[in-house]
Amino acid sequence: MLRVICFIKQVPDTSSKAGVNADGTIDRASAKRMINPFDRFALQKAIELKRSYGAEITCATMGPPPALEVLVEGLEHGADYGVLLTDRRLAVSDTLATSCALSAVIKHFGPFDIVLTGLQTTDGDTAQTGPEIAERINYPQISYCEQLSLDGTKVLARRVVEGGFQEVESTLPVLVTVANSATPLELKNFCNVAGVKELLRNPEQKSAKLKIVSLDDIGADPSRVGIVGSPTVVGKTWKLGDIAGSCVMFMGESAEHEVRELVTCLIEDKRKRETEELVNV
Amino acid sequence: MSDSNVVVIAEQLQGQLQGITFELIGAARALASKLGVGVSVYLLGDTISGHCQKIITMGADIVYVVDDPQLSEYTTLTYRRAVLAVLEVICDPPPIILMGATTIGRDLAPRIASYLETGMTADTTELDIGDYEHTSKTDPAKAGLFKNILYAIRPTFGESLKARILGPWKHPQMATTRVGVMQALPEDTSRTGIVIPVPVIFQESDFRTKVIRTVRDMSTTVNLVDAKVIISAGAGLATAEGFRLVEDLASIFKDAVVGASRKAVDKGWISSAHQVGQTGKTVRPDLYIALGISGAIQHRVGMQNARTIIAVNKDPDAPIFKYAHYGIVADLYQVVPLLKKEFRRMTTDYLH
Repeated sequence: MLRVICFIKQVPDTSSKAGVNADGTIDRASAKRMINPFDRFALQKAIELKRSYGAEITCATMGPPPALEVLVEGLEHGADYGVLLTDRRLAVSDTLATSCALSAVIKHFGPFDIVLTGLQTTDGDTAQTGPEIAERINYPQISYCEQLSLDGTKVLARRVVEGGFQEVESTLPVLVTVANSATPLELKNFCNVAGVKELLRNPEQKSAKLKIVSLDDIGADPSRVGIVGSPTVVGKTWKLGDIAGSCVMFMGESAEHEVRELVTCLIEDKRKRETEELVNV
Repeated sequence: MSDSNVVVIAEQLQGQLQGITFELIGAARALASKLGVGVSVYLLGDTISGHCQKIITMGADIVYVVDDPQLSEYTTLTYRRAVLAVLEVICDPPPIILMGATTIGRDLAPRIASYLETGMTADTTELDIGDYEHTSKTDPAKAGLFKNILYAIRPTFGESLKARILGPWKHPQMATTRVGVMQALPEDTSRTGIVIPVPVIFQESDFRTKVIRTVRDMSTTVNLVDAKVIISAGAGLATAEGFRLVEDLASIFKDAVVGASRKAVDKGWISSAHQVGQTGKTVRPDLYIALGISGAIQHRVGMQNARTIIAVNKDPDAPIFKYAHYGIVADLYQVVPLLKKEFRRMTTDYLH
């Protein structure tokens, strides 16, 4: 059976205010939580593999205990199993340390034929963790993947490149990072959501479906994860300037009048800019 | 051999050097002069040795060239092997390695970083050299004052914050840099440098991924990222046909590109290639016109760096009016034809 592991991450909801700690990291405790929007595309690909090829889907995440929420969401979308790696020693892991921890999850619960990740996360925007995992587990990788299909012992994929696309084939096993231009995620129509909820109320069923593990449980080296295992640190963060309140509004008159006023302002702006440029020279 | 220069991994497509290579060399020279070292470029590809001189006149001191028929198309594993071949020639790891934040750089650089077990920062917009004092109670072993390390500065959390990322403990310090941000140096044809050919021995496992075909069509691509003018529309458009009106307005500008909010894409009115925002493209045009877009934070982070933002929305309380420069509270179907007419009357040099 084709075994697929799909990594999903719980991130702070960016529509809530971005809390920043004194050391420059995000205050995850005060932020609202959601599944990383990019990971929805990876989850969609996992579910497609299940429907087309009968793949067994494990969705996995690393984070504090509330991250279990995204695994439940994964099960509701049709994943077979969920794995939460949670351990205080994982706190403040950078991408390299995260790739170490997630590789240990793959090794412990594997072998997997396909490892799926989202392209990047909204709280880090690095797109690095996928390729860093692939290197550690010695898998080939297909990044920016839009389409994915199986052909015997190979995968065929279409990936985004600048100004177009590229068709590639790869042997299995393979790690795939899924582009946000892939098929949009269909909403929860894959399985019986109420059924999943019911199932998770049964402690025995729940423990069969959802595994919660620590670093020790999966034999991961604690010196290579978390703050001690991270080669990078966020030195400082600062907010970008806010221009709120400076919007010149045109309203209450006829549309003709407002458009004409607006265009007059634009011409005035341009004239000012040109004058400033002259002065600077 | 010993080489403690700042390194740029060049990018070429079909044997053509890409502009990002020269931008990176420009950035690397600034870092190198602060460190008192030179700039080395790794050039990887098939029949590309002819570019070495150009790379030197654009600012490099040493070019390591891996010229091999197996490198005619980029694949992660073959190019990974070529980079490792150069790193084997140099005894000590370089202080800094830079690549472009392109689909190639963002694919290859983290793979190399993971191999070298070193830190890396993605999609930087500023680079600098400075000191850093690390004081941490949780990992006292890493504490200390570090001199002359790379400041890798990048937008984060959508684009609402900027962060300075530091990796003082390991060499190389790696970063990818956003296209179009760094300045290439003017070409200096009198510059001289050293070219070092490096052979590569591939392993069978390097060919696990194969490129079947690559289709690039720069003419029909939606190039939001480089667009000077973007006319974007959202849910307020109400129908897919509404985009004809948007295109019509775009047509009066030279090279204006049509954008869209996530809502418009999700409704199937337009392809996701047009999407601006957190799960779409990040853009910074001179002029951004948002038609019927409420402007939630997910959209804002993709376009807030536009020089001039004009918003048209029926709802005076739409969030977009909090950060647009100009706002018209009216029905976009009424406003767009008038905008077209008035823009036409403006001096053509404003538009062009």
